[in-house]
Amino acid sequence: MASQQTVQAHRPGALRRVVQGPASEWIGLAVRLGLALVWGWAGLAKISDPAEAAQAVRAYEILPESLVKPIGYGLPFLELALALLLLIGLGTRIVAVVSAALLLTFIAGITSAWARGISIDCGCFGGGGAVDASKTEYLQEILRDTGFLLLAAWLIARPRTRLSVDSWLAS
Amino acid sequence: MSEKNREGKRTARERLKAQQAVDDARSKRKKQLAVGGVVLAVIAAAVVVGVVVQNQRSKPDTPTAAPAGTIGDKNLVIPVGAADAPSVLTVYEDPRCPACGAFEREFSPTIDQLQDQGKLVVHSHIVSFIDRSLGGKGSKTAANALGCAQTAGRFRDYHDVLYRNQPDETSDAFGDKKTLLDLAKQVPGLSTPAFESCVNDGTYAGWVSAVQQDFDKSSFKSTPTLLLNGEPIYPKKGDEQISPDNLVKWVNEANQGKKLGATGSNGQSPAPSSTAAESNTPPSP
Repeated sequence: MASQQTVQAHRPGALRRVVQGPASEWIGLAVRLGLALVWGWAGLAKISDPAEAAQAVRAYEILPESLVKPIGYGLPFLELALALLLLIGLGTRIVAVVSAALLLTFIAGITSAWARGISIDCGCFGGGGAVDASKTEYLQEILRDTGFLLLAAWLIARPRTRLSVDSWLAS
Repeated sequence: MSEKNREGKRTARERLKAQQAVDDARSKRKKQLAVGGVVLAVIAAAVVVGVVVQNQRSKPDTPTAAPAGTIGDKNLVIPVGAADAPSVLTVYEDPRCPACGAFEREFSPTIDQLQDQGKLVVHSHIVSFIDRSLGGKGSKTAANALGCAQTAGRFRDYHDVLYRNQPDETSDAFGDKKTLLDLAKQVPGLSTPAFESCVNDGTYAGWVSAVQQDFDKSSFKSTPTLLLNGEPIYPKKGDEQISPDNLVKWVNEANQGKKLGATGSNGQSPAPSSTAAESNTPPSP
């Protein structure tokens, strides 16, 4: 009801109508599926070669050797779990919060590698490890992850989306 | 209707409404907690299952089958040249790496000569990480084939043939086993049924993975990495650029006053294992 009052008070513009109106749940669906696609792709790309996934983690030179394999082995499955939950729309807000936390961790890791002057591929979608200094793409990787972070932020702000288990549970 | 009555009705309605709101909020909170629990359980289960599954799928650091004559504590290294040569050139190379190809094509006559004079033994680490960044499997299949050639006692010659026919880095021609088997025909005595099945079956796939994992854990990040008696010499040794002449000079300097190793070994490592014996017949003229 409060929102209705705000709407009346502000005489909403087109943008506000899109963001707050019924269309927002459809946008939310697109955002949710988009983020699901990102996590699904990222997870699948890292699964086939465990040694490669471990090396992608090791190359950041942040974690101790004892954590390199557990993180390298577990991370793709975490990403796939997030993809699955987003796909069906269960616990969208919590999943979006976890997604945002993970993306912030990635951005911090890439920034740290960049700042320390080491030359690696982020290993975001498979691959990873040391690369030639001329082949680093830190800025693009950070911008890309920031884009994904915006998707997660939308879902944190507006977790109600169409065709989701959440909305089915709420009805 | 009196004002009072209306008041009373309204308050009753409001009370009911308020009570309903409290109930709704409580059941909503319950639902949220349940959903949150399910979500966290799914995530935790996925991660635990993932770690266990990947642990089982990953190949061990210590290979179960290594090519004949390999050395080092996990048999990851292929030695070429006399074992008692006074200088050791450690090479980390990827069959798909263009810089490795360029190096091999320029330096192999010099290195072969140093080996045959008993001055130098090469310790070759055949790594395979280019498949990771560029996709494909040419590094791994070629590394396996090199292991097969080592078992057959034909490593040095096959190694040279591969680098002389190295495809463009982005091409995965070495990923096609037929290409590797065709190239083997250029090495006298190598094209045997034993070698073919070794290449086709990926006999040393576990060894290839172990060599790569060893490289992953090393401080070296690129190929070729070249160490002469432990000191980096590629692309420079100190201030001196590497060149065939400088390499000979550096080896001779390092060897001063030292006894040379066995000469004329032709760089071919002996293949001591019995499985390799039948394919170890001398090349036909």
